Amino acid sequence: MNTQFKKGILEMCILSIIHERDMYGFEVIDTLAREIDVNDNTVYPILRRLTGQGLFDTYEKQTNVGAPRKYYKITSTGEKKLKEYESEWRTFLQGVFKLLGGITHENELS
Amino acid sequence: MKTNYLRKLRGELEEFQARDSEIEDIINDYSQLYDDAKSTGKTDEEVIEMLGDPKQIAYDLLDTLKLKKEKGVKQKIIALTPFLSVIIFMILGVSYDLWHPGWLVFLMIPVTAILFTKRLKDGIIALSPFVSVVIYMILGFGFQLWHPGWLIFFLIPVTAILLSTRGKEIPVAISPFVAVTAFIIMGTYYDLWNPGWLVFLAIPMIGILYGNNVWKIIIFELSFITAILFYLYMGYIQGSWTYGALGFMLPVVVGIAFGEITITGWDGFKGKHGKKAFIMFSTIILAIAAFLTLGFALNGWAWAWQVFLAIPVMGIVISGKFKFTAISPFVAVVLFFSIGYFFNAFQLSWLAFLIIPMAGIIENA
Repeated sequence: MNTQFKKGILEMCILSIIHERDMYGFEVIDTLAREIDVNDNTVYPILRRLTGQGLFDTYEKQTNVGAPRKYYKITSTGEKKLKEYESEWRTFLQGVFKLLGGITHENELS
Repeated sequence: MKTNYLRKLRGELEEFQARDSEIEDIINDYSQLYDDAKSTGKTDEEVIEMLGDPKQIAYDLLDTLKLKKEKGVKQKIIALTPFLSVIIFMILGVSYDLWHPGWLVFLMIPVTAILFTKRLKDGIIALSPFVSVVIYMILGFGFQLWHPGWLIFFLIPVTAILLSTRGKEIPVAISPFVAVTAFIIMGTYYDLWNPGWLVFLAIPMIGILYGNNVWKIIIFELSFITAILFYLYMGYIQGSWTYGALGFMLPVVVGIAFGEITITGWDGFKGKHGKKAFIMFSTIILAIAAFLTLGFALNGWAWAWQVFLAIPVMGIVISGKFKFTAISPFVAVVLFFSIGYFFNAFQLSWLAFLIIPMAGIIENA
């Protein structure tokens, strides 16, 4: 699997989990690492890039210990991008499963 | 450890000329990530491994960084340099008939461009071919020291190693160059080709020092020292270097016993890194062989040094992040020197240096 492809999937996953609820940086890394084999140190640069592209907003929230944490919140542009990603990904997977002969009905994945 | 880690990251980001506000933002984020990771019970080493190498992070963040605006004065100097060079060249030529070595002023063009537009480290690395050529020319034309003056070209890979390699790995990385230099100087000036070659044993002896097992290190080093002493004793006292060489069976046996030496042919070069190491190793050997052949066979000491530029070029080509801009200083040096030297056209060949800024403009546009 090439690096660009992997990055794209990772971006979609990050958008998806922050869409579920607002998260702080380490929470994003930890959540991803528990579900998929991801190189932890690639996550923050992606978070920062997506924030720069206006897909996330950030805000600070006070914690019980130490300095306030930076939280990431998905924007409407981010939600739109996530939908695009999901649609592309589903189409792609349907094609792959068709080729593998595992799925015959197109809507089984949707 | 956290402070040290964040300081390194800050240093790497500053190298990229990131704006201060950007750096502060990233450092604050990494400070939080560090604390959060630490609060899960990870050790400092585990946290650092998780967050990644500061140099790599800075590279990964490069496309998200807002950079400081280049200082106007620097850009003006770069833009003016070609014109100033022509004016100075013409004055030197017309007024003082100093066409040669007046053409040297054209070196100002790439030198200022490199110094002012690149990261300082990259600038120094890119300058190393120019510095090497100038020193080599002075040694060659001035003192007829083409040989062993060519050793100055080791400055190119050694500079790159010193500025790009982690501190701990530097002695291992530069040891082959130091060994070759010591060997050539001992051989050339003191006719100590034998036992001068023993300096090459410094390469594995330094490499072994990076092991974790203290006893293993001691036994290995002792086996080398014993073999060297035996070789010298047999050679100088008994007059038999050949029998003395048998002493080197000792470190070989120790190596096999510890599993450090495996007789598996090219297996040592397998895998992604192994292939790269093999390519670099082959390039170095071929470059030295080509240089010596051209030097001795065609008396080409004055120009054959250019083959050494193949070493850093190959390093860049196989690094996986190939850009013509990165190799353009080396290409420019070859064109500049070859056109100037073989066609006696240094007055024109300086134009080759324009490749460097042009490549930069085209690739970064």
